[in-house]
Amino acid sequence: MDGKVVVVTSGKGGVGKTTISASLGAALALQGKRVAVVDMDIGLRNLDVVMGLENRIVFNIVDIIKGRCKIKQAAIRDRRIDNLYLIPASQSDDKNAIKPENMVWLTNRLRKEFDVTLLDCPAGIEQGFKNSIAAADEAIVVCTPEVSAVRDADRIIGLLYAQSITPKLIVNRIVPEMVKNGDMLSHEDVVEVLAIDLIGLIEMDDRVVVSTNTGTPLILQEESKAGMALQRIALRLDGHPDLPIENPMDKKSFWKKLGSRFSRKN
Amino acid sequence: MNFNTLLKKLMNKGNSKDIAKKRLKFALLTDKLEIKTDTLGNLQRDLVEVISRYFEIDTESIKIDIQRSEESSALIFNTPILSAHRQRGIPAA
Repeated sequence: MDGKVVVVTSGKGGVGKTTISASLGAALALQGKRVAVVDMDIGLRNLDVVMGLENRIVFNIVDIIKGRCKIKQAAIRDRRIDNLYLIPASQSDDKNAIKPENMVWLTNRLRKEFDVTLLDCPAGIEQGFKNSIAAADEAIVVCTPEVSAVRDADRIIGLLYAQSITPKLIVNRIVPEMVKNGDMLSHEDVVEVLAIDLIGLIEMDDRVVVSTNTGTPLILQEESKAGMALQRIALRLDGHPDLPIENPMDKKSFWKKLGSRFSRKN
Repeated sequence: MNFNTLLKKLMNKGNSKDIAKKRLKFALLTDKLEIKTDTLGNLQRDLVEVISRYFEIDTESIKIDIQRSEESSALIFNTPILSAHRQRGIPAA
């Protein structure tokens, strides 16, 4: 059976698309899927450094499209996680080097080799976005609880609907303390405004910076709350759509914390 | 309730997230009413073409505009009629 193509998009930049793409790719691969993660940001690639694979780039996506190499030559295999591959973007080409029909061709090839192909979409609604959604079966819209990010997400959702794609929402970088104080939109507020289904909630997590610093997959860090949330999102994305969504607002109670502390000692 | 929330309540200040939500809803509403710059021009050209089949109109003094209020928005098209095209009549439906 052919694999599926999922685009990770947001409209606004800096809300966590690349980190989420890399982590979902790693989580799905650890769950036994064959995964390709594709950097769609031609001219401004970053997925390679987030995944810690920047030293191994030989060919890139534009080389594949222009016929300068085979897909297998451009796809970088992650040595830490089996069945995880990165197709890097080109750093030197113009963002118009690829057209939507090229992406349809490429993803149709990738479907034969991989169970899941994740497209890390660039910010904005220009060529890179058009290329990404032309080839996608499903979409994940990433949004932080900020006015600007939610507004851009709304625009993106409209454009995805126009392509007959019904996206799912990730609310990223939730700070429970601020939500509690009424100084941050809650995920309920965001869902109410955007009127789409959630696929996950991710709490603000300092481990993300550490993981990006070193280029190690976030989900391999056991302490990471964001990493745990992303593993659950990966399950929901592939085969377990009804897995309950954990709410970062539901902090462990004092007694539970105490209980887990004792049980760790024993 | 922690100290900050208490302070806010005492000073009778709303939560900033409520302001965010209100602004957001309003922004999304006006975003959706926004029209591409060439859309109005194209609409005017098409309208003139259709109306000219029935009336002689002054194409110079045509005004087309969108008026928005908080509740609704309306398309306003204003044109003086110079005369009706009697000879040609109304085309058979």
